[in-house]
Amino acid sequence: MLRRRPGESLLIGDDVEVEILAITAQGAKIGIRAPRETVVLRKELKITQQQNEEAAHGLTGADFQQAPEKLRGNSKIDPSLR
Amino acid sequence: MLSVQTKYFGILSCREEEVFEFLGGMPAFEDEKHFVLIELPENAPLVFLQSLTHPTLCFLAFPILVADRAYQLAVSVEDLTALNLDRGRQPELGREVLVLALVSLHDRFSATANLMAPVVLNLKTHRGLQAIRQDRVYSHQHLIASRGPVAGGPEVSC
Repeated sequence: MLRRRPGESLLIGDDVEVEILAITAQGAKIGIRAPRETVVLRKELKITQQQNEEAAHGLTGADFQQAPEKLRGNSKIDPSLR
Repeated sequence: MLSVQTKYFGILSCREEEVFEFLGGMPAFEDEKHFVLIELPENAPLVFLQSLTHPTLCFLAFPILVADRAYQLAVSVEDLTALNLDRGRQPELGREVLVLALVSLHDRFSATANLMAPVVLNLKTHRGLQAIRQDRVYSHQHLIASRGPVAGGPEVSC
C-alpha cells in the first residue's frame, strides 16, 4: 500500500503510469497512461463478463426439465414476487 | 409477428414491440443487441432472456425481488440516461422497469444470481442494459439454490 495525493502518480512496470487527478467525496479521479495493447477495465466489468459467460452456459436437455422445479422448490425463493 | 428460434422452447412467436434493445449488448456479449423475455407459467418465477441473433444464447434469470426480497436498486446516472429513465431517481420496479438477476448454474445443482449487475429493462421504451453497480453492497454470486434434498433444507455445495 502506498499513499498518494492529487497530482502525484505511480509507475507499474516500465509502461504504465497511474495518476491521482482529484479526490472528492464521490471518489477518486484516476488517470492511466498505458500502451494501447494494455487492457484497462473496471474490475466489476471484468467480473460481470466472467459471470455472464458462466450464466450463458445455461442448461442442457435433461437438466433443463428438472431445473425450474428445483429452483422453484427452494425455500428461499418466493414465486409471488415480480 | 417475429419467429424466434429459442434454446429451450423451439420456435416461439412474438410481436416486434416486445423485443428489448440492448444498444451496447451485454458484457462479454457486446454484439447481442436484441433479446426477448420468455415468461412461462410452468417455469415461474424463472424467466428466460433469449437472444434474437443466437438461438443458443439464452440466459436464465429471476426477477430481482425473487432473488432478494429487500433488493435496493442503485442504477447509475449514465445507465438511467441510456435507458431513457428519469435521472433524478431510481425507477419503480414492476411499473417502469423489470429488473432481472442472471442465474448461473454450477455442478448440477447449485445456483447463484448476479445481484451486482442486474439486467434492467425499460418496460415503456423497451431499452435494456446490464447495470453494473458501483458499490459493493450485493454479491455477483448470491446463492439461491443448492444441491441436496429440499426437505432437509438448503445445503451449500460450492
